[in-house]
Formats: sequence, C-alpha cells, structure tokens
Amino acid sequence: MMNFVRDTVAITGKELKQLRRDPVSLVLTIMFPILLIGIFIVIVSAFSATFHNVPVVVADLDGTPASNALLNKITQSRFVHVTQLVQTEDQAYQEVANGQVIGAIVIPQGFGTALAAGDAFVIISTDNSKLTSSQFVNEAVNEAAQALVTQATQQGGVGFGLKLAPIEVIVRPLSGRPPTGDPILPGFLGMIAILGAFDDIVNAISRERERGTFPRLALSPVSLLAVYSGKMFATVVLTVLRTALMLLIFTLYGLVVHGNLILIFFTTILIAIFTLSVGLTISARIRGSATLTVLEIAMTFPLFSLAGTTNSPLLLAPGGKAIADSLPWTYGNDALRRLIYLGSGFNAVAGDLAILIVSSLILLPIAILLSKRTM
Amino acid sequence: MISLVVLPLFFTVSLGAGQGGAGTTFSPTAHIPIAWVDEDNTLASFRLWQSLSTSKDFSNLIQGYTEQGALAQLGSKRIYAVIVVPQGFQNDLESGSQARVILYTDDSEPGVSDQIQATLTSYTQNFDPDVQVQPYLSQLQRQSVAGVAIVTKGATFAGFNIGLTTVLAIVQIFAGFYEIAGGMSREREDGTYARLLVSPVSIGSIMLGKTLFDILLSIIRTFTVLGISVYAYGARPNTDVLTLLALSLIVALTTMGLGFVVAALKMGARAVVIIEFFLILFLFAFSGLIIDSNLLVGVSQVISNLLPFSYAFDALKRTILLGRPLLSLTFDLEYLIGSILVFYALAFILLHYSRERLIT
Repeated sequence: MMNFVRDTVAITGKELKQLRRDPVSLVLTIMFPILLIGIFIVIVSAFSATFHNVPVVVADLDGTPASNALLNKITQSRFVHVTQLVQTEDQAYQEVANGQVIGAIVIPQGFGTALAAGDAFVIISTDNSKLTSSQFVNEAVNEAAQALVTQATQQGGVGFGLKLAPIEVIVRPLSGRPPTGDPILPGFLGMIAILGAFDDIVNAISRERERGTFPRLALSPVSLLAVYSGKMFATVVLTVLRTALMLLIFTLYGLVVHGNLILIFFTTILIAIFTLSVGLTISARIRGSATLTVLEIAMTFPLFSLAGTTNSPLLLAPGGKAIADSLPWTYGNDALRRLIYLGSGFNAVAGDLAILIVSSLILLPIAILLSKRTM
Repeated sequence: MISLVVLPLFFTVSLGAGQGGAGTTFSPTAHIPIAWVDEDNTLASFRLWQSLSTSKDFSNLIQGYTEQGALAQLGSKRIYAVIVVPQGFQNDLESGSQARVILYTDDSEPGVSDQIQATLTSYTQNFDPDVQVQPYLSQLQRQSVAGVAIVTKGATFAGFNIGLTTVLAIVQIFAGFYEIAGGMSREREDGTYARLLVSPVSIGSIMLGKTLFDILLSIIRTFTVLGISVYAYGARPNTDVLTLLALSLIVALTTMGLGFVVAALKMGARAVVIIEFFLILFLFAFSGLIIDSNLLVGVSQVISNLLPFSYAFDALKRTILLGRPLLSLTFDLEYLIGSILVFYALAFILLHYSRERLIT
C-alpha cells in the first residue's frame, strides 16, 4: 500500500513537472479562465451598457400632441437612437430593408384620438437578423408607451379608455442579489474544470504515447494502477489550482462567493474526474493528441448550452433538455451555481454530487480498461 | 473524417436539439414547476390563476403551498419560482389602483428568472378581472402595453434558420483552420513538409493545392450542414443554394488564409488547435454571434469592426434570414475578399521567407 502511494505521488510529481516544462499547456491552463472571463465581461458590458443607441427611424404620421409626447419619450430612450424622422411609412420600412437602421417606428394617423379611446397602436418594423438589437427596439417602444399611459392617467385623463397595466409584477430573487449576468459565472468554473481535465488527459496519455514514453512507464517498476492514479491525482491538483484562480478572478470581478469553499473545490474535482474518464475512453480510440484536442474542444462548445453554463437547461427544447438531463456535467454546473450563487449547503447539492460520483465510478474503470488494452 | 463529418454533424445536431426545429414550438416556462400562493382567495385571484394555469405557458403551477412553505422549497429544485397573490389584490383592482403580484425566483438558474417574469408580465399586463375566461393573447397582444397596442412587422424566421447561419459559419471556421494550419503543422512535424519544399513545387502551388483540396471539403461540409438543417430541423433559408454555397466558401477561404498565416509562424499541431479554440471564443465575443456587433462598446466595437468574420456573419444573416441578394452586400463582400487577399499575400510572403526556418 505504501509503495502504491509512493508511486502515485511520484507519477503526480512527474506530470506536474512535465506541465511546467511545456509552455503551451501552461499557458492554456492559465489563459482559459482569463479568456473566458474576458469574454463574459465583453458580453455583459454590451448588455448592461447605460445607452445602447440602436439606430431607428420614426415616422410620425399623426402630428398631434399625443404622438409628439410618444416621440419625445422614444427619443429619450436609453435603448434607441433616433437617427432620422421620415415622412412616410414606406420610407421608414425602406430604411430597415436597406440596412441603414435596425428599426422603424411608425406612429399612425389618428393615434391621438385612438389613445383617448384606449385602442391606439404603434407599428414597429425591425431587422430581426439582429436578434438583441431588435428586442431593444421593442423594449424602447414598450417603455415609451407605458410612460405615456402613466402620464396620461396621472394627469386625470378625461374619461380615457386607457389605463395602467392592472397588475404590477414585483420580483424578489432568492439570492437577494441584483439582476446581473453573474449566475453564468459558476457555470464558467464548471467549463474550466471540464476543459482543463480534457487537456490534462491529452497531456497524460496521448502525448506520452506519441513520444513513446508510455510503454517505458509501463515497463518501470510501478504498477499500472499507480500510473493511472498518479495521472488522476495530478489532474486533481491542477483542478484545485484552476478553481482557486477562477474564484480569485470572480472575487476581483466583484462576485461574492457565498458557499462552502471545500464543497466548491470538491465539486470541481468531481467534474474533472468524470471528464477525465470520458477523455480516457475517447483517447482509447483516437490516438493523436492534436486530433483528440480538436475533438474535445468541439465537444465542449455545445456543452456551453447543453450543460447549463450560459442558460438553464430548464429553458431548452425538450430534446435538448433530455440531453442535458443525461449529462453528469449538467449536475456539476448546477451544484456550483447553488453553492456559489445561493450559498446552499451540502444537502442542496448532495444529489448532484452523487450523480457525478456514480457516473465516474461506472465510467472510470471502463476507461482504464480500454486505455490499458490500447496502450 | 473529424472535420468533414463529425464536426458538422455534432454542431448541427447539438444546436438543433437545444433550440428545437420547425414544428417544435415550445414554451420555455411551460414545464417549470412554480408554486402558486393565493393569499387573497377572491374571484379576481382565482381568475388570474385560471388564466395562467390554462395557458400553454404555465402548465406546472402547483397549489397548496403557504408563502413560507414555498419559499423554503425554493432553491431545492422542487420549484423554481413562487407566485404570491397578496391580500387586497381584488380590492386594489376594484378601486382602480394597480394591484400587485410578487414573484420569488430561483435566480441561480441563468435566464429562468427573466423568462418567468417576462411571461408572467405579458399575462398580467392585459388581465381583466371582470372577465371570467381571459381571452387568448396573441404574441402581438403580449408585447403590448394596456392602452397602446404594439404591432410588430419585419421578417420572422422559421425553424432552424438562425441556427443554420451560426452552425455553417462555425463549422467552416473550425474545420478550415484545423485542416490548413493543423495540416501544415502535422506535415512539418512528420517531416513531409521539408520533402515538399525540396520537390520542384512552388510555395504558391502548395498553397493553391491545399486551398483547392479544402474547398472540396468545404463544399461537402456546406451540404452536410444544409442537409441536416433542412431535413432534420426544418430550416428554410431565404436564399438560393448557390448564394449559400458562395458565402460558405468565402468564409472558408478567409479562414484558410488565416490558417496559412498561422502555419507560417511555425506553430506545433497542438498549439494550432489551442489557437483555434481561442479564435472561436474570440469570435463568440466579437463577431456578432452571441450579441449583435453594433451593441459592443469601446475597444470591443473596434475589434468587431476589424474582424472579417463579423462581416461574414452579417452577410450570412442578411442572405439566409432576410433574403438579400449576395451582390447587394457590397461592403461585406469587399471587406471579405480584401481580407482573403491580404491573408494569402501575407502567408505567401511569410512561407517564402521562412522556408529554411520551417523545415528545421
């Protein structure tokens, strides 16, 4: 037993030294977290900018005080920037069709009279190939209309048929945090654990095979089990380092980590071990390190959506949800969100962790067996 | 085989499964378990419950919870939101005041909180307590404010069309870069690149030969993605096959040009793959794939404007989604063709002047 532990530690040390001597892998280990967070910041800052200035044109075909009031509110919107006032509806649509603006807002003739009767309408035409921008145009008009209705109601609208929305929805988030893009961050930690472990397996198995050092390792007076457990332990050490780096970046970014740190580290280690098992299984079939890296990276991209990193699996189409439910990574990401974002305890994530452990216990022996056979 | 078959299949199928194809309309909130707590117990609160629970958006409203009991369950994955109708709800409606509904959400699930809030608001905006059965709200009515209807025009995209633009571009970039930059690195590592250089074949011919080979693969990939998108996920591109193929090849050629430049920098095969990964992540952030490039700010906007791939995505969207003729996208095309020429010229110069370096 002592020999086994000693050999495992020796192999672990060898793996870590090898990583230190390989600048590409070292850069990868450090750059993954920084790059992912960088992308997150770019996207979040674009979404949460104070002003979006989506270009729109407005055709005010009514020319009454009511339509003017609406036009003013649209002009003041933080979502859109009115680049031009056009005379006709067709002109407005043409600007969108030509790609000059993202949206055209048409206030039809009779808007003022219809507003008093409570059945006014506004027409919006948007370039829906710009998914987010077109939503911002809708939002700008919606807000302007709501503000107009509120103003008219407060001014004691003389028997207007219009009224405020009858029910206001007040939202209280469980975490007590303000609404931001931060719930995505724990999922990014999960992705780092996955990507890192995939990369470790490429280093640990495929590259050794390519260099011809794996058979030498097998011929050395170290048991094969110690070789595999040493490589796995190296991944555990690296996962701990990556997790610590990510948590440090989160803290610098301003995310308060609520949960138990030991549980967070334990969860990322379990994610890494499961990923290692998957990588080991694939590496038994695909032997080139570059090909294996490409395949694993290609596998990782869909996981951003299917394993609940950027969006909750609850919102996926039924087919996607079924896939998400069958992926142990989904449960790992879920556990990380609950721990980091909600500050939940062990009981809340025990089921998720159990799924990860059972999946690894099933897959890891098969993966080692396959790997040994194709050594 | 990975770049030719596995990547197109994998990307298309996984995106299709996540988003659903044509004919698979689904409400994201429909099956999310949500607790319903009625503290008012009046006709108005009953009618609100009725209008939500009979809608296709809230089929999993669970009754029987107290507010405290429901909140204790929130975060346990048994329920993901709690809708509380407070006491005085009907009184407020009758007196003409704005009534309130409180929505507690498990905001650790990304997107769920916003989605439930938006869907619930669309119902409450137009709720009429005097009506026993609330009328069915069309998409148009849901976007409207009480008193002012908002009529939306503009093309809406059927089926998997948006997915098709994304997958086609990503697959071409991912595979094209791997084949050119990765292929040349592997040749260098295997020693066959040195043999190629001493053969009576010019650098230009090597580049052209590899380009023609990859164009052939790109054509096959385009039809693979198109076939799966159309026949499995019901995509209906608003453009003809030739336009789609031409644009797909322009994207591939831009990537190949970049691949040759990277290959000339004497990168190892593994380093190439890693650069490829960073490139794709970079494109996700800056080229309009996740967020429209016009919404980016500061340096991000400048990077986006310089990236040829931003123009490629734009051209793909305008043709596949909006049906614009390819030749009307003059600026996009000019920028892309210019980039291809610059990449190829730069790669040729680098490969030519680093012949010795690349074979050692």
